[in-house]
Amino acid sequence: MYRLALNMLFGDRAKLAMLLVGLSFSALLMAQQSSVFFGIMSWTYTPMVNIRSAVWVSDPLVEQVNDAQPMRDTDVTRVRSVDGVAWAAPLHTSILQARLPNGNFKLISLVGIDSDTFAGAPAVLTVGRIEDLRLPNTVLIDEWGANLLGRPETLADGTVRQRPLGVGDTFELNDTEARIVGVCRVKRAFTGGPFVYTTYDRAKAYTAGVRRTLSYVLVEPRPGVAPADLCARIEAETGLKAWTSDTDLWSWGERSLAKSTFWWFWRNTGIPFSFGTAVLLGLFVGIAISGQTFYSFVLENLRYFAAIKAMGAGNGVLLRMLLLQALAAGLLGFGLGVGMAQGIGRAMIEKGMPPFVMYPQVLVATLVLVLGISLCSALIGMAKVARVDPASVFRA
Amino acid sequence: MPDPTSIRIRGVDKSFGAGEARVWALKQADFEARPGELIMLVGPSGCGKTTLLSVLAGTLTADAGEVEVLGRRLDGLSQAELTAFRRANLGFVFQSFNLIPTLTVRENVMVPLLVQGVAREEAEARAGALLAKVGLGGREDDRPGGLSGGQQQRVAIARALVHDPRLLICDEPTSALDKDTGQRVMEMIRELSRSPDRVVVVVTHDHRIFRFADRIAEMEDGRIRRVLDDPSLIDSPSH
Repeated sequence: MYRLALNMLFGDRAKLAMLLVGLSFSALLMAQQSSVFFGIMSWTYTPMVNIRSAVWVSDPLVEQVNDAQPMRDTDVTRVRSVDGVAWAAPLHTSILQARLPNGNFKLISLVGIDSDTFAGAPAVLTVGRIEDLRLPNTVLIDEWGANLLGRPETLADGTVRQRPLGVGDTFELNDTEARIVGVCRVKRAFTGGPFVYTTYDRAKAYTAGVRRTLSYVLVEPRPGVAPADLCARIEAETGLKAWTSDTDLWSWGERSLAKSTFWWFWRNTGIPFSFGTAVLLGLFVGIAISGQTFYSFVLENLRYFAAIKAMGAGNGVLLRMLLLQALAAGLLGFGLGVGMAQGIGRAMIEKGMPPFVMYPQVLVATLVLVLGISLCSALIGMAKVARVDPASVFRA
Repeated sequence: MPDPTSIRIRGVDKSFGAGEARVWALKQADFEARPGELIMLVGPSGCGKTTLLSVLAGTLTADAGEVEVLGRRLDGLSQAELTAFRRANLGFVFQSFNLIPTLTVRENVMVPLLVQGVAREEAEARAGALLAKVGLGGREDDRPGGLSGGQQQRVAIARALVHDPRLLICDEPTSALDKDTGQRVMEMIRELSRSPDRVVVVVTHDHRIFRFADRIAEMEDGRIRRVLDDPSLIDSPSH
């Protein structure tokens, strides 16, 4: 009977198409919006990904990584004195305006790293050497920023194109020259500006007038010392706040700065509400379209269900037939919707925005919701089938 | 001693609605069908033919009276027991065929077997064999929509008989067909359903097929008015 149930469903192409439109649109909306949501939220703790350090130490008032509270330079020494610390290095982060040669201004994220250890330096340099940061007035810029801050140039054929910044190009930060000596590959940030790396001391010069420039202390534990344990020791001995750097959404620990950042944005911005609304919309649209379509599919087939009932099929058999039809439609709709979401996501990733992170958990949740929609639709139809009188077949 | 091959209905009442809106479809109806016969239920619209058919098919429960079908008292059976009874013993030919349009002809015929739990391969073979008998060999994979009305009713006959039921119920089997096709369909019902232990009950308005009956039970106002052993004696075409 169950294969016949599927044949009944697949034989009605128009209804099936309508059903799949509803379910796949719902799956697309839920998966795509959730993935953009997680992508945007992953941008909120981008510095944790780009600046690699096992332990981050901050002012006790810090709640999220983008809102560093300035500390005294002597705090680096205090942290170094804690048992279990292998080394500690200063880090500066701030948002500055870069003045381009054409007079335009662009916001950038300035990162000042320790010039001795280069702790916190980007992992990938596509052009240049990190050691060149020790030269006067030098910076590294990320690939995206190199394109963003690029300048127009006229080619031999007269066409004008945007030429990315490269080694040797300059711009100004607070009226101080910044000369590019390398281009790095890092993850984009929520704040929008490109990352510009320089040394900690030169960052002080670029932020002239700011009394305290120490944003974080980057710490490496001694071998055998767990980062979380070291955090507890640092907090106990210095009164500062210490964080672990785990950025995996699904396994981060209690002391993770990324986690704290994620939940800070959750609580203090409209991002979850906005995307949650879109996901709910997807859910309701799915329920409305597929529920209505499946119900009309059941209504159109009611006399046949009544005939099957008259022939001796019980309500249990008919319920299982409907559930199977709903399950098949749900799986197909899920596959189509998630496939489309992946396609859109890939196109987004190539363009660079908006960010798109499709976790397996998003897929599982979407699958559960789409199947839930399908099964609800089947149950609505089942209420009708269960009540249909087999004697009604004699009245048609 | 109940006869496992016959139908006996005694003093059956069936009404619809309540209070002043109550309508009596059957009033103290008695009916009997013998094994091996094709009996027709005739009468004007609203006389209770379809209700009587539904009661003896176990798709409708009588308010009062005794309903004994194939040796089994149906009054007092639960819905699940009635469903199981229909599954095992009944075949149906409907007025509007009720073939599922999205299934093939073969799949439509297989439905009663699959409902009984027969394996798909066996059901396919039995459906194919019966379709050949009704002259539709080679059309097994067509959809019902591609067949003529007569061909669709032949498919319905194959579906009704594929599981070898002991009671075949035909509700206006020729009303959607032209005269010649209706005659051929009745010939087929009579020929294929003829069996010493099978009862065929046909509800019809179509006087042109009365001659196919062994007996005719004439209904009026919810009860059997008379039963004719010779179908030619009935006064048509008022029915």
